[in-house]
Amino acid sequence: MLISLTWLQDYIEIPPAIDSRELAEKFTVTTAEVEQIERIDISAQGLIAARVISAKELSHSRNLKLVELDVGGGKTVQTVTAAPVIHEGSNVVYAPPGASVASMPKIDRASVADVESCGIILPGEALGIEMAAQEAVFLDETFSSGALLPSDLFDDWIIEVDNKSITHRPDLWGHYGIAREMAAILRVPLKTYPVVPIEDLMTPDLPELPISIGDSSACRRYSGLVVEGVPTKPAPLWMQLRLGHVGMRPISGLVDLTNYIMADLGQPMHAFDASAADQIDVGWAKPDEKFRTLDGMERTLHSDSLMIQCQGKSVAIAGIMGGLESEVSETTVSLLLESANFDPSTIRRTAGKLGMRTDASARFEKSLDPTNTALAIQRFIVLGRDMYPELTCKSRFSDCYPGAVKPTTVSVNPAHVARTIGRNVSLQEANDLLKPLAMDVSAIGDQWSVAVPSFRATNDISIEADVIEELARTIGFGTVQPAMPRVSMRQFEKNGLHELERQSLAYFTTAHSYHEIHGYIWYDANWFRKHDVDPGQCVELKNPAAEGLQYLRRSLMPGLLAATARNRFYFPEICLIETGSVFTRKQSDDNEVRHVGLVRARRGKKAETAVFEELKGAIAGWAWDRFAKQVAYRPAKANKHHPWEHAQRTAELTIDGDSYGTLSVVDASFRRRMDEHLASWAIAWAELDLSKASKLARHNEKLDTIPANPLVELDFSFLVPSASLYEKVVANASGFEHPLLRRLCYVGSYEGDSVGAGQRSITLRALIGEASRTLLDEDAAAFSKEFEKHLVEFGYHIRR
Amino acid sequence: MDIDQLNEQIARIEAQVGLDLAGVEQVDALRSLETTVLGKKGSLGVLIGGVKDCPPEQRKAFGQTVNQAKTRVKTLFDSRLGKLQSSVSEAETKAETVFDPTLPGKCKEMGSVHPVTSVQWEIERIFERLGFTVEAGPEMESEYNNFEALNIPATHPARDMQDTFWLDNGKVLRTHTSPVQFRAMKKFGAPLRIIAPGRCFRYETIDASHENTFHQVEGLMIDRDISIPNLIAMSRMLLREVMERDVELRVRPGYFPFVEPGIEIDMNCQICGGQGCPTCKQSGWVEILPAGMVHPNVLEAGGVDTEEYTGFAFGLGLTRLAMMKFGIGDIRILNGGDLRAMVSPERLGGPILKDKV
Repeated sequence: MLISLTWLQDYIEIPPAIDSRELAEKFTVTTAEVEQIERIDISAQGLIAARVISAKELSHSRNLKLVELDVGGGKTVQTVTAAPVIHEGSNVVYAPPGASVASMPKIDRASVADVESCGIILPGEALGIEMAAQEAVFLDETFSSGALLPSDLFDDWIIEVDNKSITHRPDLWGHYGIAREMAAILRVPLKTYPVVPIEDLMTPDLPELPISIGDSSACRRYSGLVVEGVPTKPAPLWMQLRLGHVGMRPISGLVDLTNYIMADLGQPMHAFDASAADQIDVGWAKPDEKFRTLDGMERTLHSDSLMIQCQGKSVAIAGIMGGLESEVSETTVSLLLESANFDPSTIRRTAGKLGMRTDASARFEKSLDPTNTALAIQRFIVLGRDMYPELTCKSRFSDCYPGAVKPTTVSVNPAHVARTIGRNVSLQEANDLLKPLAMDVSAIGDQWSVAVPSFRATNDISIEADVIEELARTIGFGTVQPAMPRVSMRQFEKNGLHELERQSLAYFTTAHSYHEIHGYIWYDANWFRKHDVDPGQCVELKNPAAEGLQYLRRSLMPGLLAATARNRFYFPEICLIETGSVFTRKQSDDNEVRHVGLVRARRGKKAETAVFEELKGAIAGWAWDRFAKQVAYRPAKANKHHPWEHAQRTAELTIDGDSYGTLSVVDASFRRRMDEHLASWAIAWAELDLSKASKLARHNEKLDTIPANPLVELDFSFLVPSASLYEKVVANASGFEHPLLRRLCYVGSYEGDSVGAGQRSITLRALIGEASRTLLDEDAAAFSKEFEKHLVEFGYHIRR
Repeated sequence: MDIDQLNEQIARIEAQVGLDLAGVEQVDALRSLETTVLGKKGSLGVLIGGVKDCPPEQRKAFGQTVNQAKTRVKTLFDSRLGKLQSSVSEAETKAETVFDPTLPGKCKEMGSVHPVTSVQWEIERIFERLGFTVEAGPEMESEYNNFEALNIPATHPARDMQDTFWLDNGKVLRTHTSPVQFRAMKKFGAPLRIIAPGRCFRYETIDASHENTFHQVEGLMIDRDISIPNLIAMSRMLLREVMERDVELRVRPGYFPFVEPGIEIDMNCQICGGQGCPTCKQSGWVEILPAGMVHPNVLEAGGVDTEEYTGFAFGLGLTRLAMMKFGIGDIRILNGGDLRAMVSPERLGGPILKDKV
């Protein structure tokens, strides 16, 4: 929302001591954020009005016209212009040689396209008005040919207020509302809004315009007036400049006038050609009704689109855009002025469905004050009479107001004010603060009653907290003395999942060298398509960020593996970790669970056993660190939706016999398909269910007592067939019972040349001892003999 | 032998040991000398062995005397041994390569947490010290919790402020961490002190400063007499702790449907120090902490008695804060997974000697 300071000064006097930036800062800290403040400095010197005598296309140069101008005093000049439209008889802004504007090079006589050109017809852009390229600014008859255009007319300061910060303030969508706020901030008086008295428009000898509203919940008020004597001509220069400076393109006198009132009061208006709309019915569109809007587009309406109709025929989409057929044109004799108030959600819904956000609909969505429909028409007459001396009313001010708003009063407990603001506010102070905002505070017993003006009563101030906000901001948040809170002690039940997630990340990134990354929570469908894999039943986004990003992830691995590929050139070894949510289509609460995903990748195919063992070791350490529990692995079937799970080498992580995740190595063909450079890498990965693990009770970690007599360590290495699972082998070995055996542990396993093909060497360590005595060599020998015998019984071959 | 004779003999032995030790230069020689004195057949050893043959009335006095003498002699030997050994190890060390104490050490590569996580943990620790609990809440949230419970009805224009990702199961990806306010009120009731860090999602086009996936930290404090001065004091504390320096705040009105009054807390730009730069859009201020007093409708939706309790809430832009702390200029780096841009080079390799990157 752009605000012109010149415009504001119609309503308030800004003290000269306050510069524009300071004003913007005050507005920011009291009302709403100023995003930007910009000086419009045209530095216009010597610009004059000039009448176009003739304009003809230059035969040898496209887009250029040779124009003869009356520059007053009986003098004429010829100039070349690129303006797309120049009519004979129109008045333009002309810069003769020697005139200057800041944005243009020296203006002089020149030869343009081999034609003598004297000065230039100034394009709107040079005056800070956003217009089509090179478009000229046309003047009304205020200035005769040769009249000097006052240079101070062109300069201004423009404040850009953040639209989001005034969503709740319908009154701030026009300059008068902003002026009221500025008046309160600066403590200066606000001038009365200049309108004709409504009684003047109630002339009984003029006819009433028939207006009916079918559904008063959709249209709270519709005011109308028929006028004549509004010929087609440009708006006055000052109005065009103001509109241009606040980002509205000047179009024609009438359109500019209604736009001006919208930017002034915040109330959108529309003018119909009264020959196409001489009575008004506000009603719903027929299903699939076709309607051509002002912009020439044909729209298909819905049965919940609110329409302005005339004798059963639609003439406008209420609050959004008028129809082409009832558009005001050069042949229009009388106009029907619409100034209405529509239900914000109806307008919002229709604008959304039709994809038509207009300046008008944006304002109606904010819930405008119904009082303004009359004010806008009253204002139209004031400005219109200046522009159109022949302006006459052809109807009475006609008004259908079924949704009349009752005056709002809000009851406020001063103790609540003190509680929230942190200090007492007296009734006197409250009135001093709120009177400039047109709110009146009176005491009723120990409560306050705050009378809220109509322009703050729609979707804005309705409860005590709203009034407290008004007090707090006008006192100034900047003046608040910070104070730490006084609190009641209480204990909160532990959030086990969050703790586990935090500790798991800390463990893998410090006890090991994993680097945490964050990936998107949706799969890339193209990645799955590349691998001919169906991602499975996923929750889908109805509006994905891009084509193919519609599936919510069920696993963290695609993201982690993609990141592995991304880093492959820069690191010989990549350890990644991510914790995050994964999603399923279940209806129950566990349709979102937290996982931790790990990747350990190393350049070199031979590293596969090493990276997998290191990953497993890190996970075992994690389980001990978190739960003081040992982990076990068992073979698992690969999930067909997860191509990173190796068909033969996938395992399940179990703790106390329950599964908590999956891990495997990535098979060669999949690595190659992912990225040909990864073909020569070894990649191990694991994905664990943190939500489930967070429910695991922590085991009590018990420490050893140092035995009085030392234990003896004996290592046993033996060969087992490679196909025998570790789980089975150690179960067999653990079946051994002996009175001296204190502890049996796993030391390691080895496969390789020295043990022969098809064989695996496993080393276990036995700790033996007796409480009452020190063991002798003979005891150890006897133990070894018996244990080896036990192992041999399973067909294991003892290595010496 | 009487006690005087014994003392005399001991004095002689000690004097001799002193002389002999001065001449010993090798550990082996010292050991054999020790045997000739303290061994069973050594000069002092014999006296020690003789104690048991003394008449009973002398035994105690003799015993004490020789034992004290043994301790003194032993100390002489040990002290000499210590000197010999240290000169031996000095000689050994000299024989090895030159010792350079200024050389860097060796360490396995360090891992790292994500920049956002690092700042998140810092904030969690700050609030845990103040008795806050950390809550999470799901990323896939019901429309009710994300909007209605926060005083944003379906027709509210504020729904446009947060372009939403809609899901085919009727849920949404939460557009802010604020639904955790509602969840926490339902779970714990008042009084309440939580922070809720987490991921949020908004349907917007990604560029260097916009992401559709980002982190916030929600804060919520409900108690008797919680006030705007409390909110400002806590915000100042938070930003000062996180930035590890004093910061200037600018407090101004802000509009969020779930707070009333709503405020925006700006921090003086830490990049330019308030002079104006592209990061702060030349204003000198950076929007950092949207906040406010919890709207009565939100408290009521959460089942909190608004007569007894008031509360404040804030939503800190964690991602933005992390970018500021780590000097990250492009937001896309954070979800991009490229370690080169997310992990400090010192963590990835050895010491850096010259840095012009």
